[in-house]
Amino acid sequence: MTLTTQPQAGTGVQPQPVPGSPGSGRFGAGAFPWVMAGAVAVSVCGASLSLNGVLRGWAWFLPVLTTVVVVSLTMALLRTFRAQPLLVAAGGLASLALILTFTFFRRDSIAGFLPSQATFDALGRHLRRASETVLAESSPVAPNAGIVLVTCAALGLVVILVDALALPLGMPATSGLGLLAVLVVPAMIKPQSVGWLGFATTAAGYLVILACSQWFAPDARTQADTARNPGQVRRAALTGGVALVVTLLLQLVVPGFDQGTFPQGSRLNPWGTATGLNPMISLGNSLRTPTGEGRITYATNSATPLYLRSVTVDRFDGESWSPDDRNANRRAGTGRMDAGHEILAPEQTRQVTVVNTGDFTSPYLPVPYAPESVNGLTGRWSWDPATLSIKGTDTNSRDQQYLVQSSVPKLTTELLDASSAPVQGVPEEFIRPPSNVPDIVRTTAESVTADSRTAYAKAMAIQRFLRGPGFTYSLESPVQNGYDGNGLSVLADFLTQKSGYCIHFASAMAVMARLEGIPSRIAVGYAPGRQTGATVSVAGQGALPEYEVDARDAHAWPELYFQGLGWVPFEPTPSRGVVPAYAQDSSASGGTSTNEQNNDGLVPSNGAAAPSSAPAPAPLPLPGSGTADAGNQLAPALYTAAGVLLLVLLAASPRLVRRGIRARRLRGTGTGRDRLAEQPLVWSELQDLATDYGVRPVPSETPRTFSARLRGSPALRLRSEPDPGGAKDTGSGADTGNGPGHGAGTFNAQTVHAVTALTEAYERHQYGRPAGQDATRHGLPEEAAVEHIGQVRQALRRNAGTVGRLRADWLPPSVLSRWGSVARWPFGVLGRAATRVGRAASALWRRTRRGLRRLRAG
Amino acid sequence: MEPHRRITIDEALPGGQGFTGSTARGVNSFNGHKSAPLEAPAFRAASERILSAINTVIDGKAEAAKLALTVLLAQGHLLLEDVPGVGKTLLAKTLARTIDCSVSRIQFTPDLLPSDVTGVSIYNQSSRQFEFRPGAVFANIVIGDEINRASAKTQSALLECMEEHQVTVDGHSYKLGEPFMVVATQNPIEMEGTYPLPEAQRDRFMARISMGYPDKDSEIEMLETHQATSPLARVKAVVTAADVAAMIATVQQVFVSEAVKEYTVAVGRATRDSAMLRLGASPRSLLQLLRAAKATAALDGRDFVLPDDVVAVAEAVLAHRIILDRKAASSGETPQALIRGVLARIPVSREMTEKANSGRTAPELRPSR
Repeated sequence: MTLTTQPQAGTGVQPQPVPGSPGSGRFGAGAFPWVMAGAVAVSVCGASLSLNGVLRGWAWFLPVLTTVVVVSLTMALLRTFRAQPLLVAAGGLASLALILTFTFFRRDSIAGFLPSQATFDALGRHLRRASETVLAESSPVAPNAGIVLVTCAALGLVVILVDALALPLGMPATSGLGLLAVLVVPAMIKPQSVGWLGFATTAAGYLVILACSQWFAPDARTQADTARNPGQVRRAALTGGVALVVTLLLQLVVPGFDQGTFPQGSRLNPWGTATGLNPMISLGNSLRTPTGEGRITYATNSATPLYLRSVTVDRFDGESWSPDDRNANRRAGTGRMDAGHEILAPEQTRQVTVVNTGDFTSPYLPVPYAPESVNGLTGRWSWDPATLSIKGTDTNSRDQQYLVQSSVPKLTTELLDASSAPVQGVPEEFIRPPSNVPDIVRTTAESVTADSRTAYAKAMAIQRFLRGPGFTYSLESPVQNGYDGNGLSVLADFLTQKSGYCIHFASAMAVMARLEGIPSRIAVGYAPGRQTGATVSVAGQGALPEYEVDARDAHAWPELYFQGLGWVPFEPTPSRGVVPAYAQDSSASGGTSTNEQNNDGLVPSNGAAAPSSAPAPAPLPLPGSGTADAGNQLAPALYTAAGVLLLVLLAASPRLVRRGIRARRLRGTGTGRDRLAEQPLVWSELQDLATDYGVRPVPSETPRTFSARLRGSPALRLRSEPDPGGAKDTGSGADTGNGPGHGAGTFNAQTVHAVTALTEAYERHQYGRPAGQDATRHGLPEEAAVEHIGQVRQALRRNAGTVGRLRADWLPPSVLSRWGSVARWPFGVLGRAATRVGRAASALWRRTRRGLRRLRAG
Repeated sequence: MEPHRRITIDEALPGGQGFTGSTARGVNSFNGHKSAPLEAPAFRAASERILSAINTVIDGKAEAAKLALTVLLAQGHLLLEDVPGVGKTLLAKTLARTIDCSVSRIQFTPDLLPSDVTGVSIYNQSSRQFEFRPGAVFANIVIGDEINRASAKTQSALLECMEEHQVTVDGHSYKLGEPFMVVATQNPIEMEGTYPLPEAQRDRFMARISMGYPDKDSEIEMLETHQATSPLARVKAVVTAADVAAMIATVQQVFVSEAVKEYTVAVGRATRDSAMLRLGASPRSLLQLLRAAKATAALDGRDFVLPDDVVAVAEAVLAHRIILDRKAASSGETPQALIRGVLARIPVSREMTEKANSGRTAPELRPSR
């Protein structure tokens, strides 16, 4: 069964050249290097196709193609001249440097391709650019020179790596690792993962590498002659099938693929939350982040929780909405900012806020609306008069600390209701309704606002509709294909499913308001956060309470324009944020009146925060913020203690188990209950002892053979002594114990005698006549058996080294192998089942084929 | 070799008694009754006497000698197969001579007739009756030289004798003596004009031994001692036939445990399941394997069989009965290696050990906790 015909190893392998120096044969260096270079180039280029989507467009592909082809051809050329493998790799690196210089630094180098000092300066600039891009932008990033340079360099290195694995090291199958390294990038960054195109081209390239090493390799080492092995196809199919099934099952079983660390639709971003060029897209990702990344802290004198606003979105055309920077209108410097429209409200509230962005990285600055001045920024920043969004021109929001002075009009229902003047002084793009509005959006807007006459009434009707019981807050829908779309079609889906998150609620309200003639835009930023308990002292304001927000608080809300009052935020998203008093329904207007003492437009929607007499601003209540603290401080200690205890137990468990087993066996012997039962126990103990000290019993071994092997093994025998009985394995065992008793040998003879006695007792018990028929036969008395075991153990310990002793004590192989066999059991069952299924399938196929042939013949 | 005188009775029948002709029944047997088994020391002394006597004649072949004695005590038949001149016939003759019993030697040739082996009825003028003249097979130890040179008919005449320990001529059955053992030799090299033993007949031999060449020292010693005289002349019988019968009775009383039976069956089944074998071990071969193991155990001074005993004789007992697959044979596999492979794969009474561990002791241990 298992005895298979060994291939004639000696005859097939002639002294061939080692791979990598294919030069000894006539055509040793002939076509092979070129074919392999082509295969490597094809595979790496194929893998790089998957980068589309990480980098925008295809403009980057040409430099990548040039780099890859030049590097692989250089190495093939060197190989044709039979260069050493190391020299080939060095040549590849040199050619990579030259082609990169030629592509990116032609003007800064000597003769267009030789690097000079200027080249390195330019390189530094490019690398800085690339790192900024990586930090600040989200995929797909614009293929600027820095990023493309890094991409080309990385792919060139991958070419050298793949080539080195496939040729000099002779491990073509392993070269897939290099290709995998390329695929990891899109898999982590692109929302739709690698994509079929990238995967297919990579797989094809990999197969080309494998095929070329099989067919063209001039040596026999990679050109295995196993095609005639009949079981090969079946084995390959079995392996592949098992791998596939395990892959598919594993992601169902292992948590973290659709929740936890990698929730579906989100991608790993090792550089923190970069809101990037299109915050709308990354917003959903931020919300689904389980951990609070991108933490921002701020301290404010505002009596109510504050929304931090980064950017606005105002153009609702097209499939993907994104902020319009209006670079032409931007003004530099943030010392004084002015929205430009007159505010007719009788009173304005001024707020001072100190913001610390920490590692939140974005080109846009989160500030409370409406900022009048921002001080303390580093770098150059500009602001847009139309939206008051602040954007860095050469910097981003990372590690900024700044003081914002903002003002909002005190809004009341009456004021808003009275604002019926026609809109003036607002740019056209905030007013124009989007084209191609789906019917459902239009009809919904009309039916919702049918009974309302004023703009404010219409806005309230829309908000009431969206906050109504029909809508639910959900982060999972209407996400499609892992992509949090925000176009009008997604909006239609949202209105159909009545389920989505803030971006959908906000855009629905903004679009519907525009359809009803109210200027609108979507603000993106953060909902009010939690109080940290700390205070920050601000010059002229004293100690201000500190708040924190992180990625989980990312939010979007609509802003509607009312003539004379400016841009007014609303809150259509249920269960998030705070509904301003002016935007609350008339039924809740009682609450509004009580809160007017605050002289503030914004009131927590949550009644728990109502006590207005409290001097401190009411934070958003967070469950268990105060009393749980003590418990929180104690809990880590407890967890740590429990963890340490668990670790100690885990480390000691093999030892404890082994001791338990030994005690049970020897105690079972000592009580002298049934002598019949003892021998197997003592024998098992002897076997386990031997296992622990490196003499493993073999299942096909007879007790006597095992005993002889143990007696003869260096684990039990003194090295200086002649073999007392190991060689005489089938001979009479009793004789071996009475070996020469001189000097150190006495001790040894004792142990040998002990092993022999135990073996004989076991044999007699196991194979001898049952006790009933032969009462005189009883073997060892219990005490002797225990004593023998002790002697053997002592001898084993004495002969073992320190490492061996430690291993036998702490990681006894007898226990570990037992656990291992238990752990392997399901795999064994699976494997056997798979083999059986495979056999049945092949038999069925053979029978079917035979039947078909017979049918055709007859 | 000896073209004319094909059958020679080397030794006179014990006690000088010849066939009395008219009553062939019970001839040369130990009076039909069972011998009493020997005590262990006596058995040991007898077996050691036999083995040392053989070893004085044949140098460096202690293993083969012991196996031959094992087969004798297990009431089996022995097939010695090797190239000419390594002492096959010498071993057979020495074994026969150490025992005080009747020995006959048959030189098999193509024209040997079945009646030459079994015996024939001859008309006695004086008594006017047909008288049975027993053939060469009527002896305690029958040495069949070059058995594959005889025709199939003659070979199969030996079959009945070997299996049933009796001869049937003219409707009469004649019991053969006890102990009865056929030691056949066969030359595997010169196969021209021979009739190879069919499988059925090979199956009746308990064991096949290949003698092999002696090692260097033994060969030098052999050259010295065998110069002048045949060492066979010095050999004296060291046990009587009755002693051997008693030893056989002892062997029969050796205890075989369930575990060993299971192990034996597992080995047999493994040969049948092997993809490299066209024919695996037959049930009869397993029976003989166990009998040989019992004899081995007895020779080792035990009254119960160990798996080691089975392992010790498995190759000799099984190798000549199994037939290799054509593909395996062409790839250089040998039956001996295959048997060794099977033995290296079959676990030795793993189930029994576990049963003993879990089934018997666990319930008893529970109260003590």
